[in-house]
Order: sequence, then structure tokens, then C-alpha cells
Amino acid sequence: MKRTQPFVSESVLIEKLSRRDQQAFQWLYDQYSAALYGVLLKIVQEEEQAEDLLQEAFIKIWNNLDAYDANKGRLFTWLLNITRNTAIDSIRASKAAHRPNPSKAIRTDEENVYIVDGQHNTPPVNPDHIGVQDVVDQLRPERKELIDLVYFKGYTHEEAAESLNLPLGTVKTRIRAALQELKQLFHS
Amino acid sequence: MNVAEYIASGTLEAYILGAASDQERREVECLSSIYPEIKQELDQLALALEDYAMALSVEPPVALREQIMSQLTFGVTQKTTAADEEEPETKVLPMPDTRPIYNFTWIAAASVGLLLLAFSFFLITRLRDNQQALASLRSTNAALQQDINALKTQQSSSSQVMALLRQPGTQIIQLKGNEKAPDGNLAVYWNQQTGQLALDISSLPALPSSQQYQLWTLKGGKPFDAGVFDPITGVHHLHPIQQGTVDAFAITIEQRGGSPTPHLESLIAMTPTKAS
Repeated sequence: MKRTQPFVSESVLIEKLSRRDQQAFQWLYDQYSAALYGVLLKIVQEEEQAEDLLQEAFIKIWNNLDAYDANKGRLFTWLLNITRNTAIDSIRASKAAHRPNPSKAIRTDEENVYIVDGQHNTPPVNPDHIGVQDVVDQLRPERKELIDLVYFKGYTHEEAAESLNLPLGTVKTRIRAALQELKQLFHS
Repeated sequence: MNVAEYIASGTLEAYILGAASDQERREVECLSSIYPEIKQELDQLALALEDYAMALSVEPPVALREQIMSQLTFGVTQKTTAADEEEPETKVLPMPDTRPIYNFTWIAAASVGLLLLAFSFFLITRLRDNQQALASLRSTNAALQQDINALKTQQSSSSQVMALLRQPGTQIIQLKGNEKAPDGNLAVYWNQQTGQLALDISSLPALPSSQQYQLWTLKGGKPFDAGVFDPITGVHHLHPIQQGTVDAFAITIEQRGGSPTPHLESLIAMTPTKAS
């Protein structure tokens, strides 16, 4: 897999972003929106919601650019974290809002239907990434499941262990193995 | 510290997946800044996750790009758009700021104006009231002054009469009108020793302005002029007459200024004095 090379160096890009340069934003969007949108679809599994969250995430990114520290981590990782946290916060908030009201229980079922529809409705994957998708599919299902649970559902290791009925140690080991496997898959 | 062991512990993976506790997060951030091996492992894990995310890429709807951009504020850095964008921005930004202030200024100015107007009206009303009160006080004052003057005059004439009456030898001679002046009624205060004389008119018929009443004294059958007077109710002080006895007092109607001798046909009253 070959990552699209930025036409500017990352430090120049960050400098431009800190001045809220429109061109820099356009480059940032074109470079990362598909990945961020894909992650959001994985998390919420509903297009309209994913679009709203992408918008929310980019607004947060734009407003908090000054908080980004290149020494602490990569830009894309930072973007991913903001996007993921935005989505998980939104899911937790809507869950918290639905929980105390029993009448909403029926609606939750409707939402489940939408989610199932959404899963069937998932748009075709970008052809550029088909090869990559194959790579992802090479991940062992039990490892992929754990990454998805922790990374996309926001489960803590303890919650994942409880949910999968596994010992906490096994969960930790599998997650480590899954990430090591990912590392190797992309860089072999 | 065993770095390899720490790397193998799974904490870095938890950190990268956002599943680390606050305590673990601080720990990882601190250690990665100290140990290059940890930093490197962390970067590789981040890269792996980035690649995973890239692998999940789905192109968002094309319209979303414009929609998101419309929500963001961009700095003015583009050479081409700098001039174009600065104009509307400087125009648009002050508008919401100044307009409410503009309105507020007008409202405040109008309020102050109205307040001043109301206050002026209040002052004018007060002034008018005060002027009216002052005018009525003045007229009351003048009326009182007149009353006081009248009373003073009355008082002084009364005291003169009183002084005359207190003198020993003063006589009070009542004169009643005859058939020519049936309502005529007056008194003469006369002191034989001093000759002082005063009239106290209770009522006398009015006269044309060309005529006056004239008082006469009769002595030894002869009339003597004792002064003229108008038929005004009240006390009239006349000039003292010659000392000595008087047989009677008489009143006639004469031309204004009096006559040297009485016209007896116009006699209206006569009373003899008490025997001295």
C-alpha cells in the first residue's frame, strides 16, 4: 500500500493550517475525509449520522488546531482521535438520553433496523483501497473483532472482556497481537 | 525499567486505541518522551492504525465538502482572494456590532429627550400654578391693605369721636328729618366749652351733585354757618364753631359749597340744645 504523498511537507502544512489557510484545509479534507468518513461509518453505521459527525469533527479540528502538537504524535493520528472521540461521545450521549425513558425502547428497535439496513446499504468501498481491504480481511476474525470493539465502539479492555466473555489478560494479548499483525500486514 | 517488557505489556496498544485510563495515558506520554524505543513502537502502532483507517476509506458525499467549508472561518492568506474577502468581511463584521449600539443610542437619546420634555412641561405647569397663586395672594393682599386702611381711617375717626365724647360738657343732639326727609337721622356731637363739632350720620336722603347739606347753629334767633357735608353715612368732623351757647342745630339743603344764609324752605331738621 502506498500513501498519498502530501504536496507540501507536514510542517509547512501545519504552519498553513495554524493560519487557517483555506488551501491547506482543502488539502487536509481531500487527503483524510474519506478515511475519517469510513471510520465514522464503522462506528455509527448510518450515513446521515456519519455525515453530521464528519462535519462536527472537522469543525472541532479547525477550532482546535492550536492544540495539535507535532512532537506528541502524527497529524493523521490526531485527526483520527478527534473524529473517533466525537463519534463515541455522540453515541454515549444518545444512549444516555435514551436509557431513562422506557417509551424510547421501541424506537431503539427501529434504530436497530436502520442499523441493519445501513449495513446492507454501506456504499462500495473506494476501489483504490480494495487491495487494502483484502489485507484487512486477512486479519484473524477474533482479533479484528476486538479492534473494532475497542476502537470503534469505545469499549475499555474490561468492557470488551466482559462483552466477549474472555479473561482480561487474553483481551490485552489479542489486541496487542492484532495491532502487531496490522503493522506487519501494511509494512511487509 | 525494562522497556521491552513495557512495550509487550499491551499498554501502548490500549493507548493507541484510546482505551487507556488517564493514569496510563500520562504514563505512556511521559515514557515515550524518555525512551526512543517506546516512542518508535508508539509511532509504528499509530501508523498501523492510520493504515487501517485508510483501508476503511469511504468517499463522503461530494456536497459535504462545501457544506463543511461553509461552517469554517478561514484566515486571509490567499493572494487572489485576500482583496475580495477582506472587503465583505470588514463590512459584515461590524454590522451586528454597531447596529444594536446605533439603535440603543437612538433609544437612549429619544428617552432623554422625552424625559426633558416631560420635565419642562412639569416645570411650566408648576410655574403657572405659582404665578396664579402669587396673583391671587397679591389681590388678597391689596384687598387686605384696603381693609386695613379703611379700618385705620375708621379707627382714627372713631378715636376722635371718642375723644370728643369723653370731654366733659360734650352734648349729643339727635336730629330727625322732617316731612321733606322722613328717613333722615343723625347726631351732632358738640362741646360748648371748646366749640368742637362732629356729625354722625345714620341716614340721609341722597342729593344731586350740585347740592350739599349745611349745618346751622341758631343763637338768639340768628343762624350761623357750621359747615357743609355730603350725605355719607358715618362720622364727619366739622370745623370747631365759636365757643358759647347755641340754642338749636338745624340742617338745610343748599347749593354745593353752602350759602351765607339758610333757605328755610329747604330745612329738613332742627333740634334745640339742652338748656345750659
